[in-house]
Formats: sequence, structure tokens, C-alpha cells
Amino acid sequence: MDDRTSETGLKKGTGHPLRIVALLIIIACLALFPFVVTNRFYISLVNEMLIYGLLAMSLDVLLGYTGLLSFMHNAYLGIGAYVVGLFLIHISPSSLWLAILAGVAVTSLIALPVGWVQVRTGGLAFALLTLAFGMMFYTIVWKWYSLTGGDDGLMGVPHPDIQLGGFVLGSSGNPTAMYLFSLCIVIICLLLTWRIVHSPFGAVLEAIRENEERASFVGINVRRYKLYGWMYACMLGGVSGGLFILYRGYIGPTTMSAFAGAGVLMMVLVGGMGSLWGPIVGAGIFIFIQDYISTMTEHWELFVGLVVILLVLFMPRGFVGLGDYLTRFRKE
Amino acid sequence: MSILAIIVDIVLNSLVLGGVLLIVAIGLNIIYGLSRVMNLAHGSLYALGAYAGFTLVASGLNFFVALLIAPVLIAAVGLIIERIIIAPVRKRSIVYTLILTYGLMFLLDGLIKYFWGNEPRFIELPEFMRQTLPIAGTHYPVFRLVTLLITAAAMIGLMLFLGKTKLGIILRAASSIPEMVSCMGINMTYVHMSAFALGCILAGIAGVISGPLYTIDPIMGHEMLISSFVVIVIGGLGSLRGAVLAAFLIGLVQTLAEFFVTDLAMVIVYMMMAVILALMPRGLLGEGRFE
Repeated sequence: MDDRTSETGLKKGTGHPLRIVALLIIIACLALFPFVVTNRFYISLVNEMLIYGLLAMSLDVLLGYTGLLSFMHNAYLGIGAYVVGLFLIHISPSSLWLAILAGVAVTSLIALPVGWVQVRTGGLAFALLTLAFGMMFYTIVWKWYSLTGGDDGLMGVPHPDIQLGGFVLGSSGNPTAMYLFSLCIVIICLLLTWRIVHSPFGAVLEAIRENEERASFVGINVRRYKLYGWMYACMLGGVSGGLFILYRGYIGPTTMSAFAGAGVLMMVLVGGMGSLWGPIVGAGIFIFIQDYISTMTEHWELFVGLVVILLVLFMPRGFVGLGDYLTRFRKE
Repeated sequence: MSILAIIVDIVLNSLVLGGVLLIVAIGLNIIYGLSRVMNLAHGSLYALGAYAGFTLVASGLNFFVALLIAPVLIAAVGLIIERIIIAPVRKRSIVYTLILTYGLMFLLDGLIKYFWGNEPRFIELPEFMRQTLPIAGTHYPVFRLVTLLITAAAMIGLMLFLGKTKLGIILRAASSIPEMVSCMGINMTYVHMSAFALGCILAGIAGVISGPLYTIDPIMGHEMLISSFVVIVIGGLGSLRGAVLAAFLIGLVQTLAEFFVTDLAMVIVYMMMAVILALMPRGLLGEGRFE
């Protein structure tokens, strides 16, 4: 009997032992990375991959598991980052955990009414509304000069120490310490999300994705569960925003633009929807390509557009789909 | 300025803005209604229309001639897009077409930047349209009045086309029962193509007339795209009367907001949309559910 199915035929959600070993090896490699490659630039690059990986994974909870498309999920990274930054500047420059907590709390507070309005409509209007609300946040950040610094962005965000139970683990201004901190948070979020999407709650979300009408017939309150899924995704977006501002110390409105939103969507597409690790890999590939191409051409937009079109036309399931294809090939 | 002059000014400005919004939103609505494709690149096609108008006028053509040629060019571009990119994914989930046309939007924006650059452009107007006309104590630009006439003409033309011509009747039938039209031996491929071309013609017209109204820049389509969604969502998906009502409502609210608070006008429009949706999830005059 397949170890992924229990007597009732439901997914138990326990991975294959080989998968767990592979995961541990990948985590160990990532943890050792800053000690092997001491170049600050590469550490920051991988750090950015992790942060955007977290954002892309949270978008996939919406897109891949609940079937809800958000065009501007980066808006919630932006909100989280601005809140954490403003907290560190104006309220307390040294309390890192409080700042992240405030970031997640305020992101959820903002996402709640938005989500409440959005889930009242169906899939298509939901997607259009994410675009409208995303543009709204972008406009606010761009025009509210006295609070957000407008076009110049939020500068001079202090770098607090990373403390845990009274111990100082390092300064968030230090790339290696910040990298390890991001890695820990991303892994915790990944495990938590993995647990959630493999719980009965996750099954409800997938039922909604497959057929909203049938889900409501079996007694699922579709609107409420969509809202829960949305809130969870936005909270994770807030966490990624906190990590973003801590590692960069700066955020500008472009991070929240529609174009950056297309980038996040592309990360999910490249990696493949409907799996948690796919979008993280996608984010890694995307950031790497972005870094490589932006040094060569100024027509980066053209490239993103073309790649998104080609992905949808020819590889709609991304790298995960490629993996499925290979395993099927092996079995035959 | 007297109170009356201010009111006349605000009413005319909201009519102009609402008219442009309406043309873009109806184009988007026609494409969606007929082929179930929500074309997120519609705003970029509108921007492309403005640039085509700019290039035609800059090369010495009359503004009105440009107004006739540019939409045809956009329709040609639209047909190419429909055949090559949209037709293959029509059968798939709407999520894919949304992502696809979102990518297309950035591709078109990139192409516009590649060919015309980032700097803002202006469409040169004929001499008589640059004057102002005294109306109720205010001096109103003639161009804006001509824009109003063009909008009205475009809407009447659209109504006549959909109501009186054979193709228009087929299109209307296809929007309500596509299977039936298909069973009558009408090739749905041509229906989809004509719907897309019609939507693009409307986007092109709106692009050319908004050239002198606003500045032309590569991302002018983004805000217009969002605004036309707001029109469709508020008015109710697939409802023509709803779209007309919503467009002029948004035109009025945005003009008032620009008059009083300037910077955050769009934010107020979004807030209004949120309130309307919270009260009426189907929009003002929407009959059906969103998919």
C-alpha cells in the first residue's frame, strides 16, 4: 500500500522518507551557504530568493490550493515592509520581534476588509478586485509623502539585533546573520503551511478550487473559507515584507507596483502551481534571471511578458509539472 | 468663477471622463461577453491606440483622419493577438487566460517603450479645436466638447451596429447562447474574431481621443484598465445599461474628487467600488453571477 494513503484513502500528509532526507540536505546546504560563499552580494541574492520564495508560496496557497488569483500579492509584502519599517523608525528601533508582529498584525488588519469585499464575488471579479485594491495601495504609498517618503521610498530603517530569549544572535545589519534568520523563518512558515494545506482545512480549500458549487452543497461556507485562505496568504505576505525591510533597510513604491506583481505570479508559474516548494524554486530562478538580465537590457518588461505568455501556452504546470511528466515517463 | 460656472465645468468634465471610460469598458465587456476572455491587455491596446494616433498626427495627417485609421490598426493588432495567443487557451480555465493576458499587457507595454520611448507625448490638435467656448460664465475648451460628440457618435454607431446589422445580431445572440449560434451553422471562430476586433476598435477610438485629454505615456493603459474594471464590476458584468450608469457615476465621482482632494482621487473611486460591492455583490444592474 502506498504510504501516502491511509485506510480511508485520504492523503495522510506524511512525506516519503527519501523526500524528508532530501529536504534536510537542501536545508543544510542553504544553512552552510553563507560560510562557503562569503561574498556579500551572493548572500543577499539568495536571501532575496528566500524572501520572494515565501511570498510566492503564500500566493500559491491562494492560487494553487484555493483557486483564487491575486495579481498584486506583492502589495501585502509592501504593506508588511512599510509597517515594520515605520515601526522601527518611529516607535522602537530595537525590538525586532515586536516590529514583525506589528507588521503581520497591520497587514492582516488591512487585508481583512479587502478580503471581505473580495470574497463576495467569484473567481474572475476576485482577480480584478485584487488588481484594483493593489493599485489603490500603490497609489496611497506613492502619494502619502509625509508617511512613506513617496517616490523616494522609506530610507534609514534601523537594523535591530536579532534576539531570542535574552540572547543576541547577531545584528540584522549583518548579511550572514540576516540570511540565517530569514532561512529559519522561511522554513518555519513552510512547515506550518505544509501542515495547513495537508489538514482538513486544506482539503476544504482544494474542494473550493475544484468546484465551488459542489463545495457549498456539501455544507462548506465557501465565502468564509475563501476569506480564511486569503487572510493566511496575506499574513505570510506580511512576514515576507518584514524580512524584506530588515534585510534591505529600504523600500520604495516600485516593490508594490503591478509589474512587480506580475513577477510574483511568474515565480509561481515557473515553479508550478499547487505545490509548496515549486513557487520557492520559481522565485529562485526568477530572481537569478532578473539579476542576470537586468544588467544586460533595459527592456526587462518585454522579457517578463514574453516568458509569462510562453509559460501559459506551453508549460502551464511549471517545473512541478515537468517533474510529474518525468515520473510518469519513468513508470511507463 | 461663479457657482454655476463651476457646476457646468464639473458636469462637462465628468461627462468627458465618463465617456472615455465607457468606450474602453464596453470594449472590454464585449470581448468578455462573447468569448469569455477577460483581456487584461485591453489597457495596453488603448495606449497603443493613443501612440498610433500620435504617430499618424505627427506624420502630418488630420486629427479626424487619424481617428479613423488608428482604431483599424489596433483592430489588426488585436486580430493577430487573438489568433496567435488567445485562441489556443480559450478552452482552459479562466485563470490561465487572465495570467496570459496579464503577460501580454507587459509585453505590449515593453514594445511601446521600445518603439516610442519613455517620455510623454502630446497629440497636436487642429487650430479650431484649441480655442475655448464661453458657456455659462466659464471658458470651456472646444476639444472637450468635440470629444463628447465623438463619444456619443461612437456609442450610437455601436448601438446601430449591434441592433441593425446582421453581424451585430449574430454577436448579440452569441453572447447569450453560444451553443445555439454554433448549431445554426455560424462559425464561432469568426464570432470570436469579430468580437475581439470590435473591442479593439473601441479601445483605439478611446486611445486617440484621450491623447489630447491626458498626456500619452507607456503606462497610461494601466489606470484606464483598472478604471474600466471598476466600471464593469460596479455596473454588473455583461450589463450594458449598468456600464453606462457606472461609467458616468465614476466620471462624476472622480472629477469631484480631483476638484476637492486632487491626489487621492482614484483611491476614492476604489472606496466607492468597495462600498457598492459590499452592499450589492452583483453590481448595480448585474443580473448574472460572476464565473
